[in-house]
Amino acid sequence: MKKLHLFVILSLLTLAFSAMTVSAQDDPLGILGDDRFAWDSLAPFEGLDLGGEDVLFFGPWETEDLEYLNNVLAYLNAVVTNGSVTYVGSGSFEQEIVIQCEGGNPPHLAAFPQPGLAADMAKRGCLSSLDDETRAYINESYAGGEGWNAFATYPDPEGENQLYGIWYNVNLKSLVWYVPDNFDENGYEIPTSWDELIALSDQIVADGGTPWCIGIGSGAATGWPATDWVEDIMLRTQPLSVYQDWTTNAIPFNDERIISALDTFAIIAKNEEYVNGGTAGILTTEFQDSPQGLFSIPPECYMHRQASFIGGFFPEDVEIGVDADFFYFPAIDPTFGNAVLGGGTVITISNDTPGARAVLDFLMTPIAHELWMVQAGFLSPHKGINLDIYSSDVLRRQAEILLGADTFGFDGSDLMPGAIGAGAFWTGMVDFIGGASSQEVADTIQNAWDAIKGE
Amino acid sequence: MLDLIIWLLEGILSPFVSVLEVIFDPLVVAMADSPALQAVFAILFGVGALVLYFWGTNAFIDWILGDQVSWIIQNRRKRERVRERIRPWFFVGPSLILLFIFLVFPALNTLDLSFRNETSTEFVDIGNYSWALQDPGFHESIRNNILWLLFVPFVSTTFGLVIAVLADRVRWESLAKSLIFMPMAISFVGASIIWQFIYDFNDTGEQIGLLNGILTALGGDPQGWLIIEPWNNFFLMIILVWIQTGFAMVLLSAALKGVPEETLEAARIDGAGEVAIFFRIMIPQIISTITVVMTTITITVLKIFDIVYATTGGQFGTDVLANLMDTKIFRETDFGRGSAIAVTLMLATIPFMVWNIIRFRREEKFR
Amino acid sequence: MSSHTATSQPTGGIHWRNRFGWLSVRLGLGILCFLWLLPTVGLFIASIRTEEATKTTGWWKALTPLSEFVPVRSHTDAEQLDDGRYVIRGSLAEDEGVQGSELGETFGIRSNLAETFTVGETIDLGEYISSRAGLTLTINEDYTYEISSNEPIELSRGQNIFIEVTTPPSFTTEHYRKIIVADADSDFGIGRAFLNTFTVTVPATIIPISIAAFAAYAFSWMNFPFRNFLFIVVVALLVVPLQMALIPISRIYNTVGLKDTYPGIWLAHTGFGLPLAIYLLRNYIGGLPREIMESANIDGATHFQIFVRLVLPLSVPALASFAIFQFLWVWNDLLVARVFLGILPENQVLTAQMRSLLGTRYEFLHLLPAAAFISIFVPLIVFFSLQRFFVRGLLAGSVKGG
Repeated sequence: MKKLHLFVILSLLTLAFSAMTVSAQDDPLGILGDDRFAWDSLAPFEGLDLGGEDVLFFGPWETEDLEYLNNVLAYLNAVVTNGSVTYVGSGSFEQEIVIQCEGGNPPHLAAFPQPGLAADMAKRGCLSSLDDETRAYINESYAGGEGWNAFATYPDPEGENQLYGIWYNVNLKSLVWYVPDNFDENGYEIPTSWDELIALSDQIVADGGTPWCIGIGSGAATGWPATDWVEDIMLRTQPLSVYQDWTTNAIPFNDERIISALDTFAIIAKNEEYVNGGTAGILTTEFQDSPQGLFSIPPECYMHRQASFIGGFFPEDVEIGVDADFFYFPAIDPTFGNAVLGGGTVITISNDTPGARAVLDFLMTPIAHELWMVQAGFLSPHKGINLDIYSSDVLRRQAEILLGADTFGFDGSDLMPGAIGAGAFWTGMVDFIGGASSQEVADTIQNAWDAIKGE
Repeated sequence: MLDLIIWLLEGILSPFVSVLEVIFDPLVVAMADSPALQAVFAILFGVGALVLYFWGTNAFIDWILGDQVSWIIQNRRKRERVRERIRPWFFVGPSLILLFIFLVFPALNTLDLSFRNETSTEFVDIGNYSWALQDPGFHESIRNNILWLLFVPFVSTTFGLVIAVLADRVRWESLAKSLIFMPMAISFVGASIIWQFIYDFNDTGEQIGLLNGILTALGGDPQGWLIIEPWNNFFLMIILVWIQTGFAMVLLSAALKGVPEETLEAARIDGAGEVAIFFRIMIPQIISTITVVMTTITITVLKIFDIVYATTGGQFGTDVLANLMDTKIFRETDFGRGSAIAVTLMLATIPFMVWNIIRFRREEKFR
Repeated sequence: MSSHTATSQPTGGIHWRNRFGWLSVRLGLGILCFLWLLPTVGLFIASIRTEEATKTTGWWKALTPLSEFVPVRSHTDAEQLDDGRYVIRGSLAEDEGVQGSELGETFGIRSNLAETFTVGETIDLGEYISSRAGLTLTINEDYTYEISSNEPIELSRGQNIFIEVTTPPSFTTEHYRKIIVADADSDFGIGRAFLNTFTVTVPATIIPISIAAFAAYAFSWMNFPFRNFLFIVVVALLVVPLQMALIPISRIYNTVGLKDTYPGIWLAHTGFGLPLAIYLLRNYIGGLPREIMESANIDGATHFQIFVRLVLPLSVPALASFAIFQFLWVWNDLLVARVFLGILPENQVLTAQMRSLLGTRYEFLHLLPAAAFISIFVPLIVFFSLQRFFVRGLLAGSVKGG
């Protein structure tokens, strides 16, 4: 009798313990039941049979980001049956995905940080297209949904346009970072127009400081930060249609409108007094290290234009929102309203199975966005999300800029063919800052474009 | 062609792999909980299979063409001749098969791709080659590759030789050689980080790059070493020299140890100075190793891309063929042009191969 | 050896010349070693300094105390004194940012340090910063500060005080700890990665050496058709770019079932390493004296016996050299492992593990120096232990024309 008693207690304990461990695995963020989240969008996946598949999801996110995403996927894994999904990241994703696809060994889903590469892979027949239902859902539930769909629509091997992916984890590029204390101490105001921005830069120079930190070094990708500048200026000086025609080369790269944007960029970048280290500094500073000058004493610079992710490279003790903050890169020509430049990661299916489709469907739901938002830096264009869930005010303000934009332009160099957007454009910007004229640079890039169209 | 070869290999290899699977799957499952045990087993298996092959095949032909099984070829002489004619192929066979699968076949495949468009779906004749001939980036890479070829193999080999000779004369030889060798052990990416601490440029304020640190301490202006064309190429070459000298040193040092002490002793007694001994006795004795080292470093230089990729990304006029190829294939996914560049690289080795052939002919004559 | 020669010289002049030679050999080698070591020292220092120190001062200054201004943010909560004034009180010395440093005499109130003051002074903040009108700041000799005003003080972020500090050199093992401890609790941490790397590296070093040694012997001492032609093709294959081989080989592996297996990656490394192996070993084995081979042949030994009993032991230096190179190459390889062992966490090798610690956009690049030193350790041991095979006199007594 006593033995039985003990047995019962032991089994109860074991049961309770296993229930606890299961819940930690199924609810790594400890938020189950929190009614701020859109749990109802997870409901359709309840009991979904994955058919025994171990779905492999491959992308560029590593370390913390990898953990965040696997935490998100844990909530899907907890409700589906007979299978699961794992995310695996790589620092050389771009190279490995090409080898995997061409080698006939692709993952189920692939997250492309540049749509240009996704388009190349679609053309090679490595990706599976999505249906009209998906297109309609994104149109309806993403802010600027048609635009997002357009950025994920590429020609298939036969040359027909197809929707290939959905957007997950986007970033905002039209931000200027600064140190509020430095502005306060010198009585600088946040500029709200291009003229004010230049006036402020002049003021800083007059006070003996250097207004800007710019660094375009990035190893093999050296030059890309400068392309963002030009794109931001294009969106602020030309209608969106011109911007889009520029990215498809319907308007040649050496059109005067683009040359004028390059010249506008030169007002800041080629002014040796404006930039820390001058043009040589721009060329030799790694983009990761370039915001460092904001925080030195005395400050090596006062402003730094870079995307939302740059906060990850600030010194460890810098608290964003207190020690560092951002303002919207101001409009140049007010007729084009508030234009916003952004980028993002497009999720595609590279090995078409029911499991892969289920995971893709999950990543379109508001809950999949909210689960990452609550953990860390993650912006979402999904209209169904609860903004209160953003982990900080800073992110919420970025989300508001993103959702409140009059014009949203996708990172132009990412939309251009790889040989331009990840080649001639980068090299061109390096040459431009190195001393070449805007006309020379634009001509060279256009020549490169003609060379790829030649075949 | 690719498909045909894959089909052939599948036919040949699949049965082997299936047999292995049947044998080893249960073992792998049994050891699923212990990766360490799996590792030990895997290593033993890999090495064991090898011993079994060489010893086994040798024993087999000795047996089947030996005196015991004399009924296959009755004549003893003839039997011996056939045996010795077959034996070399068992020696070189595994190498040739592996080389065919892993290098010849990809090279042929590359040649095929180089005549096709970027998705390899259409033939474009020599389109990719004529593109290369007029592409400024390609010209720049060719120029830089020639600079690299003139500089790195010669300088690395010279340093390697000097260090090998000097180290031979001191008690701390082992330590000295380890220090020179150490850069080889650091990956190329690690090496580029290291050299950032040498070449880093900061216009104002504290320098964190040693060169500019020295320069500013002497009252000069800091320089952006990696953006001054064309000298930046040499700063990148120095990184490779730093790495490859260890390679040259290890091989040349081993070769120097093979120079008979008696020969050197005899020369010394004859009153030859150390310099004369070096040039008249050591160099001729190890000339074949010097050729090997030079050839190998030359080919390493042709294939070098990691250093350029991780430092300048080929910008600032520093692009080289291998980096251009990598860019075309992985960033622009243009397999046609990438392959055409790869074929150019392979063709570039022909002069060095001719040099090697000449040397072999001479060596065999005098052996 | 050389000292023996030196003492046997009769005249002083030659003795002096040898002494000079003795010195210049050591000096020359010492300088070369120093130059070669210098960059690595920079890397090592970066691996034991804080990220901030590495980014702000040169590594050669790691041992000198650092003088700099650091910001201390004042408190924001003011109390009202009896005389009606409002004050914020605090101590600079208690701030976390200055712990372990010696506080100096000079301080500033704006980050551009356009003006500096001496401890003990009282400053009218409004004179310099428009948003601080009506506030005065006093820094006392004991580094306590007082911000006072006649009006209630509304500071959203506190006033920054930039105090000069001298920080003694400090080093940290933090980077090493982070790399080793990262994922230590998971099944796929650095321990597993080490094991995977060994499982790849050991056979991928031994297999090509053995295969290549047999081939090199055949190319040197056996007669068969197309011998020289085949050999030169082997050498020419050195140039085939690895990148071009990955995709076709992946396709073969998929069809024959070798993908994501250890035998698959051993074979791949073997294939890629063979040209160098055969080239190096053929050069060495081909250079062995013909007399040895002939005398063995006369004794009736077969090629297999000659190879195993004679050639292998004599070729130890060449085998050891190639072993070192192949070991290094496989040990440092990332790409081949990622392609042929797959991307699942349980299959990661050390290089992949290290790379993944650096972050999506290299946010944690400052860990790389430490990672490089952790992964350099094993190759150096291999080098040291194979050093003893580079010995003189293996061929002693068997030389022609000696």
